[in-house]
Amino acid sequence: MSARTAEAGILNNSPGTIPQDAADVALAQSGDAQAFERLYRAQVNKIHSLARRMAGPAEADELTQDVFVRAWQKLHTFRGEAAFGTWLHRLGVNVILAYRGSQGARRRYLDEDADAANIGMARPAPVELTMDFETAIGRLPPGARQIFVLHDVEGYKHGEIAGMLGITAGTSKAQLHRARMSLRRHLER
Amino acid sequence: MALTMALGLLAVLAQRPGEGTDTTFAVRAGTRLELRNMNGDIVVRTWDRNSLRIQAEHSSRERLDIGYAGVVLKISATSRRGAPRDVDYILTVPAAMDLDLGSNHGDISIDGSTGRINIETIQGDVTVRGGRSVVTLHSVSGDMHVGAVRGRLEASSTNGEVIVDDVEGEVYAETTNGDVMLRGIRSDNVTAATVNGDLVYRGTIGDNGHYRLSTHNGDVTVTVSAGTNATVTVSTFSGDFESDFPVTLSGARQGKRFSFTIGTGKATLELESFQGSIRLVRP
Amino acid sequence: MTDQWTPRLSEYLDDELSAAERLQIEAHLGGCPACRETLAELRAVVARAESLEDGVPARDLWRGVAERIGAARPAVEPAAGGGWRRLRLTLSVPQLAAAALALMVMSAGSVWLTRPPRPIMQEASAPPVSGSAITVSPVAMGDGAYESAVRDLELVLAQGRGRLDTATVRVLEQNLRIIDEAITESRRAVAADPASPYLNAHLAQTMKRKLELLRQAARLTAART
Repeated sequence: MSARTAEAGILNNSPGTIPQDAADVALAQSGDAQAFERLYRAQVNKIHSLARRMAGPAEADELTQDVFVRAWQKLHTFRGEAAFGTWLHRLGVNVILAYRGSQGARRRYLDEDADAANIGMARPAPVELTMDFETAIGRLPPGARQIFVLHDVEGYKHGEIAGMLGITAGTSKAQLHRARMSLRRHLER
Repeated sequence: MALTMALGLLAVLAQRPGEGTDTTFAVRAGTRLELRNMNGDIVVRTWDRNSLRIQAEHSSRERLDIGYAGVVLKISATSRRGAPRDVDYILTVPAAMDLDLGSNHGDISIDGSTGRINIETIQGDVTVRGGRSVVTLHSVSGDMHVGAVRGRLEASSTNGEVIVDDVEGEVYAETTNGDVMLRGIRSDNVTAATVNGDLVYRGTIGDNGHYRLSTHNGDVTVTVSAGTNATVTVSTFSGDFESDFPVTLSGARQGKRFSFTIGTGKATLELESFQGSIRLVRP
Repeated sequence: MTDQWTPRLSEYLDDELSAAERLQIEAHLGGCPACRETLAELRAVVARAESLEDGVPARDLWRGVAERIGAARPAVEPAAGGGWRRLRLTLSVPQLAAAALALMVMSAGSVWLTRPPRPIMQEASAPPVSGSAITVSPVAMGDGAYESAVRDLELVLAQGRGRLDTATVRVLEQNLRIIDEAITESRRAVAADPASPYLNAHLAQTMKRKLELLRQAARLTAART
């Protein structure tokens, strides 16, 4: 970050809350690839998990690399208003969503009336567990899966999710509910 | 290798010592104008007379050499002592006159020409409105703004942007450090390239056309209107691709390069960015 | 069971209902054990989601990132000239000596250096070069020839740059740096993916650009002789 934004970052934080990675971010922004590698090491597990849950294990590796490459290219736009991890995560979500978007027509989301697959509407029968929770997330329909991961796993709000996916907040809420209902029977006990 | 041109002096100069030059004389149709300037700006305006007016600002040390070599009317400046200093020109020429202008340092602008145009400058901006048949513009360090060309346009700079509006004909636009923006283009053959800069294309994508946009560090944005038929090939190393409308890939995504079809796929659209974004947008 | 309440249980859980709606649904929950059970299950799902741990990628992905951002050191330095053997596409660039230069003596002492005659200069009916002017065409330059042409031109430029004004020199050097950086990035990309037609063509094109710029620079210095 420029001297000014670094200074702003320091002034906005009380002593002791200056992010540990502020120095590495500043170095990486000036082109220091080793500093960027340190940032990578600190964030890769989170980004990889995000990619795996959103897009599946087959594409998680390549998407993870895409995210960090993109972050390197866009590093100059990071101004230190949020934590670097937050910024990176948001960028990662965009990269992952865009990757799917470019492969086909814009994803259509089931709205309240057009629910073709009665996901989770029936009372679940008691079943022996055949798959764990993470696998069950992977089995959700793609739209519901993304919304569930973004809201319940990653903590984004419906308003943010609606903006990221190009849907209404109402659709986001409805999809989230369906995902949760479907996942009920896959809770490990 | 040196060529000595025989300059036959035909025009009578009206020149007041120490105050520059202002002279007007008749020219035959089909005459080509060739002006070489070291330092100073060149402004060319047009009228519908068969005569040429030269207004030049220079010191008393410089004088203009004006003469014919065949159909070419050559203008340059010499100095009584040493190299010519700044000479600024304002030329008013017949609209259809072919123009061949060169300068080391100085801006060159042409407005209203319906002739062929060739410009070479080292350091200076080039601004052209008009031009027919063939327009070729070269600068090392300078921005190019070109418009209203009917014919083939070749515009290249090294350090500067190339902005083109309203051309009907082939377009070849290139720079190394700068953007290339092509708007209002009606053409079946367009090539735009830069290394450090963005590319924008807003123009026809005709059924028999070939369009190639290539950059290293920058984004490529192409406006695709409804009814376009094009086979699009997107090549990138670490950039990304976005489209305002759905696309279906023909064949697998091959890592760095993939193709898809819009409509009947007749035109070819090759979009390359080594590490920037490639975007298709609706008008 | 489908009823009007179940779809809203998630919103209730997330505290997204208005005060009035919340009161309504709590009133319903008081008398509906099925909904209470569903609510508990949803809570458990959310709790489970919030407690998910980050996994660890099965392999180290940094190397792939490093190569793509140009930070990786190549495993093997290509031998002089040998590296270009892997290029499928070679350059078509005339040698400096063969380039057509025309000097025009204007008057005592001043010299204008021009390019080969352009279509505008001739009345000939040669059709204009098609728009694909920067596609790479087959061989006229061998492996080592590119590098020696670059060296020759750099020499000419080094010797003659004193004749150019500083602004022009600065512009030329800045743009040579831009092209060199692009060549380096392209080379690394080709090294990682030698079979890619795009990467090979892009590298060749960028190298050709460097040659063009050097040739142009050399012409400029020669014009000052």
